[in-house]
Amino acid sequence: MDFLAAFMVIVAISFFFSRMGSVLTYDWQWESIPGYFMFKDAETGQFHTNMLLIGFFTTIRLSIWATGIGFLLGTISGMMGAKGSITQRFISRLYVETIRNIPSLVLVILFYYFVSSQFLDSLRLDLWLRNQSQGFQGVMEFILAGPGQINAFVSAVIALAIYEGAYISEIVRGGINGIPQGQWEASWSLGLSRPKTFLLVVLPQAFRQVAFPLAGQFISTIKDSAIVSVISIQELTFQGMELMAATFLTFEIWITITLLYFILTFSLSRSMAFIEKKASQMY
Amino acid sequence: MKKLCYMFLATLLLFGYSIALAGDTGSQLSRESIIEKIQKEGVIRVGMSTFVPWAMKDKKGQLIGFEIDVAKKLAQDMGVEIEFIPTAWSGIIPALLTGKFDVIIGGMGITPTRNLKVNFTMPYDFSGMSLVAHQKKANGFSKIEDFNKKEVTIAARMGTTAEQAARKFMPKAEIKLFENESQALQELNLGRVHAVVSSAPMPVFHALKYPDKLFVPLKENFTKEPIGFAIQKGDYDALNYFNNWILNMHSQGFLKEKKTYWFESKKWESLVK
Repeated sequence: MDFLAAFMVIVAISFFFSRMGSVLTYDWQWESIPGYFMFKDAETGQFHTNMLLIGFFTTIRLSIWATGIGFLLGTISGMMGAKGSITQRFISRLYVETIRNIPSLVLVILFYYFVSSQFLDSLRLDLWLRNQSQGFQGVMEFILAGPGQINAFVSAVIALAIYEGAYISEIVRGGINGIPQGQWEASWSLGLSRPKTFLLVVLPQAFRQVAFPLAGQFISTIKDSAIVSVISIQELTFQGMELMAATFLTFEIWITITLLYFILTFSLSRSMAFIEKKASQMY
Repeated sequence: MKKLCYMFLATLLLFGYSIALAGDTGSQLSRESIIEKIQKEGVIRVGMSTFVPWAMKDKKGQLIGFEIDVAKKLAQDMGVEIEFIPTAWSGIIPALLTGKFDVIIGGMGITPTRNLKVNFTMPYDFSGMSLVAHQKKANGFSKIEDFNKKEVTIAARMGTTAEQAARKFMPKAEIKLFENESQALQELNLGRVHAVVSSAPMPVFHALKYPDKLFVPLKENFTKEPIGFAIQKGDYDALNYFNNWILNMHSQGFLKEKKTYWFESKKWESLVK
């Protein structure tokens, strides 16, 4: 049975590619793609990273920051939504419902042109960064972005974090509500205060329960980060589109980009599964 | 429940107010001339978008092209550093208005509609629209009228003067719009559209690349349009500076020389691929 299934998948895939080959009269030019990852400077003999690799690292940076901030936002909002006062619950609901009912693309554009133009740009982060020492600029470029990109990058990170935070909030809220009332009562009877019960008993259990949906959300953050290409963040999709505009190697570049995203998301999902397994053995 | 509704409404109003406020920031920013700002900060931020051969990335990831040479020369003459901000074409004017960069040097055609939103300098170049067509689909087409039929499909890049030209000269044809030129050309190579409208000289270059599939039906460009720098409205200082800089470059022959290199030769092609 397994054999049959595998066979059918292979047939379907080869049929797809053979059809594609006959419908698409396309002049494949894969040979120039590696050069867009890295190239050797003919004069100095040194290797330099090129657009695709730079975009790849930008996507990683963007995803890490957005996930981190989104996780923080989502956890706070989720805790407020599950066990907060009525006002706290209202704020949490307002946040989640507003964000979840706006298309992510619209949110990113609105945030970039309206909100960040008023608040972030007036901070003049780029000017501040330009006046710092070379070494500090290098460090910032490694963890955030260079002076030319920093304003846009920060606003993209925040927009993405707000977006992901709303979904994480719902996951966390569900996790907390899923802990049976008996756990609360048991720990009160042991003399723990309400906040202590929440932090030491309920929250750790809630996070263990929602580890898988959370991992799924982290993976979607990586994929969602592609939408910030509309505000011209130099991440993987944007770099790819720029390359396509310059070279017209449409399919080679889209396929390469897909593979790069896959490498990121797949390795994340595998390592999450590994951590999950280790964690379950601990108890 | 009623209370909740009121709170929700109040929050929405606050959000709306902040958007309304955002409209003001653009005009506030332009009170100080960008020329002074550029001098003070020692850097000019230029908004552009990839358009072969106006601006594109070479094999080493460096920006090259006609616009890039113009902008670099401008920065050199002002004695400041240059920073290019590649921006998606459809969002380039809002980005200028919200101060994401100082000036658009991106092969932007001067049109009355755009001019209502931004100020343009005098033209530093003239461009024109041209067509590249699919040999089988557009067999025998040789005039612009041949393309102005209901059954004809034309592809162009969204928000460009190419789109406007296509709508004006081929109102009966169906227009298909794409975010990037490469997607429009891909559609043409697949034979799903009859022709692609784009700024010269790209259509000719593209036809030369696929001589067995594509051809150039019109011998001459069917429009002529002025190309200028775009800046935020009301900055006469900057307009004056840029206009005179352009005037100088015209008389020094710099623009002509660069135009010959990028638009009439293909010497640069080995830099890209």
